Amino acid sequence: MAFLLSLGRIIKFSFQDIIRNIWLSLITVMILILTLLSVNLLLAVRAISGAAVGTVKEKVDINLYLRTTAERDSIMALKARISSLSDVKEVRYVSQDEALSVFKRDHVNDPQIIEALRELDKNPLTPSLVIKPTNTDDFDNLINELNKIDDPIIESRNFEDNKLMLNKINAITQRISDVGFAVSLTFMFITLLVIYNTVRVAIYTHRNEIAIMRLVGASNWFIRGPFLVSSVIYSLVSMLVVIFAFFLFLNLLQPYLETFFTGYSFNIIAYFGGNFWAIFGLELLAASIVNMLASLVAAGKYSHV
Amino acid sequence: MIKLKNISKFYQPNVVAVDDISFHIKPGEFVSLVGQSGTGKTTLVKLLIGEERATRGELFVGGWNITKISQSDIPYLRRQIGVIFQDFKLLPKKTLLENVAFALQVCGKPMAKIKKIAPQVMKIVGLENKMNRYPHEVSGGEKQRTAIARSLVYQPKILLADEPTGNLDSINAQEIIDLLLKINSFGTTVVLVTHNRDIVNKLHRRVLTLHEGRLVSDQAVGKYII
Repeated sequence: MAFLLSLGRIIKFSFQDIIRNIWLSLITVMILILTLLSVNLLLAVRAISGAAVGTVKEKVDINLYLRTTAERDSIMALKARISSLSDVKEVRYVSQDEALSVFKRDHVNDPQIIEALRELDKNPLTPSLVIKPTNTDDFDNLINELNKIDDPIIESRNFEDNKLMLNKINAITQRISDVGFAVSLTFMFITLLVIYNTVRVAIYTHRNEIAIMRLVGASNWFIRGPFLVSSVIYSLVSMLVVIFAFFLFLNLLQPYLETFFTGYSFNIIAYFGGNFWAIFGLELLAASIVNMLASLVAAGKYSHV
Repeated sequence: MIKLKNISKFYQPNVVAVDDISFHIKPGEFVSLVGQSGTGKTTLVKLLIGEERATRGELFVGGWNITKISQSDIPYLRRQIGVIFQDFKLLPKKTLLENVAFALQVCGKPMAKIKKIAPQVMKIVGLENKMNRYPHEVSGGEKQRTAIARSLVYQPKILLADEPTGNLDSINAQEIIDLLLKINSFGTTVVLVTHNRDIVNKLHRRVLTLHEGRLVSDQAVGKYII
């Protein structure tokens, strides 16, 4: 009963303090909002860059060119054999006619090439198998597997260009990931410092009140309690504002992203919605813990007996 | 009630705040602790309320051995010792009554009891008509009365008054001393820390005199001698 009474008073004092020092409370919440918004913006940038790299990787495939004389049954057998490889995500057969129509479509604005094709009077392209790898990071393994296949219908298996391009993409991806990680770490450190300092300043303004509480025999937890409760309230209010403002921002951003990722399904709102608890729940938890630790340290300093 | 045995407090190896002080204050006594500024009077008050730890010696207050008291027991000790200071230490955003009630709230007293006790002590210090005013709306003497009222809510056996008249004019100062004498007459041990010569000389009570951190005089009915 006494515990509940004290808890009730701690919560009451916390709310009283927030209202009676409304400007200080607003400034504290504003700083928390700005830091949390920045963290989420960084997350959004990482998600967008990740999606951009993903779409580029999605375009990477290997072409296995076949002889024009190859029988359809032999091609289908080879296709089935390649499909069964663990590193292969998908194999698509592109016939000679389809290859030609795609080629014409791709060069529709290049009259010289179209004219040259017409003069040839026959289809110069070969049928092919377009192979999509399961994992673009482990491209070498797939190439080794494909090199092992000895089938007379295969005309060419030069994968060096693909390998070179993929290595370049992987290097860029790795660089983006490394830079993103370093920026995130730096930012996280700055965020922790900002939150810690904000709470310390807020508690510093209460040092006289803490001294009086000490003087009249308040226990350490009774002194620290209202600050801990205030920390949670500040974190909660900030998080709610951030969620509202951030989803508003994402709604404005999404049409631009749809234009950028034409043909690919990337929805930033769905990304944050799908990871709602993992992102915002963790942020709330982290902000509350940092706030509470800062409160404990700062209040402890002034409530030290 | 209060017993000091060879108490010393050094802040750094060479800074001596109080040095080898011993005295005994019996229950119900009114004792003035006098001395010039910087002689260790406030350090002694801090040692008595457990805000500082003695470097050497033993200190007993109302059955507590302060030199061995645990951190968690200090709030309970402070509820048995009333303390008032020169700067009143009132919460500016609470009314006088709320300031007094606050002391009861922080130690978990039920609201019904707080509503009964707080106005009673305000009446004892003569502020029953100004209970709902804020500290900035009353005089220095009234602020000090509020501080005294707050220190009385626990019905302490000891009241430590550290320069309670330092910020007051002579009329208000005398009123505060009269109030302390009244509280003492109820049986509360009062320790008045002051360097106000006139007040000490008028009291005709026991006087402990500190000089350069040492106890240089202990007179049963004393005067300010330095």
